[in-house]
Amino acid sequence: MVPIQRGPLKTFTMKIWHIPSSLLLCLCSAGMALGQDTSDSLPVIRLSELTVNSTLKNMRGRVQDFVMANKNASTEEILSRLPEINMIRRGSYGMEPQIRSYHSGQTNLLIDGMRVHGACTDKMDPASIYIEPQNLQGIYVNSNTGSHIGSSIGGTINLSLASAMPSCEPYFRGEVSSGYQSASNAFYESAVLQYARHGWAIRANATYRKAGDYRSGGGRVIPYSSNEKLNYGISATHGLTRSGFIKLDVLMDDAWYIGYPALSMDVGRAKARILALSLFDLDIHPNWKQTELKIYANRVTHAMDDTRRVNVPMHMDMPGLSETIGAYASATQVLNKKSEIRWRLDAASTYLKASMTMYPQTGAPMYMLTWPENRMIQAGFGGMFIRRFDSTSSMTVSTRFDQYRYSLESAVAKDQLSVLNMSTSDIHALLKNVQVEYTKKMKRHYRITVSLGYAERIPTASEFYGFYLFNAFDNFDYLGNTSLKREQALKADLQFAYNRKKLHFTWNLYISRIRHLIAGTVLDNFSVMTPGATGVKQYRNLPHATLAGTEAAMMWKPAKGWQWLSTLKYHYGTDQDGNPLPLIAPLRLVSSLRKEITRLSLQAECETASRQERVSKMAGERVTPAFWLIHARASYTFKLKYMEQLRVDLGVENILDRSYYEHLDWNRVPRAGRNFYVMLTCGF
Amino acid sequence: MKRISSLFVYILLSSLIVLNSCSKDDPMPPVDPVKDYVKLASGYAAGAATLVELYGLDSASSGYTKLFVALKDSVTGNYVERAGITLVPMMDMGSMAHSAPVEQPASTQAVNKLFPCSVGFIMSSMGGTWTIAVQVNNLENNQSGMVSFPIHVKESSPSRMYSFTSLVDNSSRYFVGLVEPSDPFVGINDLEFVVYKRQSMMAFPADSSLSISFEPSMPSMGHGSPNNVNPVHIGKGHYKGKVNFTMTGLWRLDLQLHSGTAVADSTHGFDIEF
Repeated sequence: MVPIQRGPLKTFTMKIWHIPSSLLLCLCSAGMALGQDTSDSLPVIRLSELTVNSTLKNMRGRVQDFVMANKNASTEEILSRLPEINMIRRGSYGMEPQIRSYHSGQTNLLIDGMRVHGACTDKMDPASIYIEPQNLQGIYVNSNTGSHIGSSIGGTINLSLASAMPSCEPYFRGEVSSGYQSASNAFYESAVLQYARHGWAIRANATYRKAGDYRSGGGRVIPYSSNEKLNYGISATHGLTRSGFIKLDVLMDDAWYIGYPALSMDVGRAKARILALSLFDLDIHPNWKQTELKIYANRVTHAMDDTRRVNVPMHMDMPGLSETIGAYASATQVLNKKSEIRWRLDAASTYLKASMTMYPQTGAPMYMLTWPENRMIQAGFGGMFIRRFDSTSSMTVSTRFDQYRYSLESAVAKDQLSVLNMSTSDIHALLKNVQVEYTKKMKRHYRITVSLGYAERIPTASEFYGFYLFNAFDNFDYLGNTSLKREQALKADLQFAYNRKKLHFTWNLYISRIRHLIAGTVLDNFSVMTPGATGVKQYRNLPHATLAGTEAAMMWKPAKGWQWLSTLKYHYGTDQDGNPLPLIAPLRLVSSLRKEITRLSLQAECETASRQERVSKMAGERVTPAFWLIHARASYTFKLKYMEQLRVDLGVENILDRSYYEHLDWNRVPRAGRNFYVMLTCGF
Repeated sequence: MKRISSLFVYILLSSLIVLNSCSKDDPMPPVDPVKDYVKLASGYAAGAATLVELYGLDSASSGYTKLFVALKDSVTGNYVERAGITLVPMMDMGSMAHSAPVEQPASTQAVNKLFPCSVGFIMSSMGGTWTIAVQVNNLENNQSGMVSFPIHVKESSPSRMYSFTSLVDNSSRYFVGLVEPSDPFVGINDLEFVVYKRQSMMAFPADSSLSISFEPSMPSMGHGSPNNVNPVHIGKGHYKGKVNFTMTGLWRLDLQLHSGTAVADSTHGFDIEF
């Protein structure tokens, strides 16, 4: 629930009213300080001094900080280390985050509060690929239901964008990084420039990555796993005369020839353009805090390509387009010292179109719409009421309502879908979410949190309208179904936390019962569209399914300079007949020991997953063997005369060069083998 | 002020009336009934004082071909809208001659000034010379006459009509023509076939004794399409059903014709490319 700050802001000096709202939220959350006036008696404050409050961070924040300290980690790697998140992998890039085994259709993945829909029918482009660690300010994960931010049954991930804030003391800062990874012969170059003065601040960043086909454990090179991309953006903030700020964010991402070894096609070209204009921290009223108003637009284009593949029976093009415009307003209303409400009002409209053209040896090209042109319009309203009864207990009630409309946007789209004998008229749905959470602190160091919730989600555009979408995971062509019912979930969550100065431990247990789970069901009399596909499936509602699991995390600081972080996750999913659900990760444990000696940091890491025998036969899953890996990392920061810092990160991942794959890796494509990396970061 | 507002109301009302009357009085532009069609032949029917014009949706090609006969009074040039018309198509192959399946105009009353009819060109002009003789009984001047003109019939590609000898008796010869989809698209298309049976070289009556089933597929992909509806006889040898195309490209419709439960033919079909 807590967004965590990162980046060069830490040492900046600024007036208290210049602290971004999210930081205030960070400082104040976890409990006690909320609602108390941030006094003007401290006109200037060094943020580093505020780190005393970091003990209020929750475990997710600690894990995030710990992982982000490794400069070599990509956003996907950072996400994969969070306790609730697993990544579905189709290639070395573009992994799809799962929250507690809920796939991307069941969760919300937002960029700075914005909806960005992928333009790929095969989910090759989750929005997380547009955020490089350079412009990632923090990760917000809500795994519970009823998040007031958006309707979903699985939860919400929000990746907030880094931005610069105006400063009373003008400054110009920058950071240049350069890195290399041996397993994929990958180069990484990035630069961030930041300028701030009274009333104005601007931040520009660019990251370039280029990787070749990687080498898996044992030495086999995985073909079609290379990628190349450039990510760049500008964020400009202006302090308004009376109160608040206005901010413009421009984020662009261009990628070329991204390989997806687990799929039959790669991506030839992908482009994302993300624009946002926001007003925030407006002093509307003393009781209204963290106000934000944002309008945004984004456009993603995506062209799948098989020209680099050999033995292609028939060449095909698969371009996709996604366009979203949206707006949201959010604010915290302080009711009194003990209670407040966080409001959010938002609306968005997303247009999707994807097509496929196949070129036979003779005859006319064959064209069809894989996402017949469709538009989703959503308007939602949510509130989270927080009430603190005393210094040891508090209660949160969040509710969210969303009105959705899906429509087909052209006669061609309607004609094509009518072939499936299904309704092509508009689909309307009102979604309702509610969640109640109660937290009680016991015996000073213990805290127990219980939450119960009811949540709904609307089917995705692919689930409604997908037209012979080939799924390389189970080798079936998938058809949409406009008569799908919404998924409904009843969720219960129990968290136990133990917090001492040197030891932090959390343990979560969750269970949810999902009604009308959407899954592919085999259609017997349909012939496949994709050459080599096993058959055709259509999305249908299963009567019900159960997801359960546990996560535990421990951060122990046994002595000065030592940190030991361990995270463990286990998920369990079963359908109405007791069969295992597909794509459920087995028991997974990551343990890292870090020693910091002044400017040197050394880290040893062990990563292991158990054998997954609970596999879905319906989805054609097979048993995934267990694996364990060892990584070693080190970093050293030089203090130099002419620059603020020069930092070197070195490391070896998968030291034993194991050949392995995870259960969520499509088509059992082995992951990278022994990988040496080096990264130089120079800040000025 | 009151005067100004009443003036304003007056102007508004009068302009409305003017606009309204304008739209009412506008004469409808005369619509040329043949503007979307291609003229295939024309000639005077001697004795009927009538100019006979033959139109098609496109230039004539082998297969089931919709035609439109336009009759004009040879003196006034006005369309003749009441007439009895009989078409006799004839193929002269030098050593032999034969006719073709034909659907005469259904009524003596023109539809939109034209007389719709059809001819099933069972071959193209590559094998000889096609002529169509049109017998006109002009009911407006009560005169009758005949005109005959040559027609050039292109070879259809892909073919729109095939013939087979029934496996049931090994002698009956049938002709199957594709009527719809004439303008195929991705989606649910109307499907219409027409079946004729050869009685003699000069007579090809419509046949309703067979039942038809079909299977669409894309030869280059090997897949079919879901939810097709087999055609059923609706009269005059026409069979109507539905065919679904899931994408553009070349589609093949494999037909099976049954006489009762016995298979009459299962080796032919139509290609549709769009």
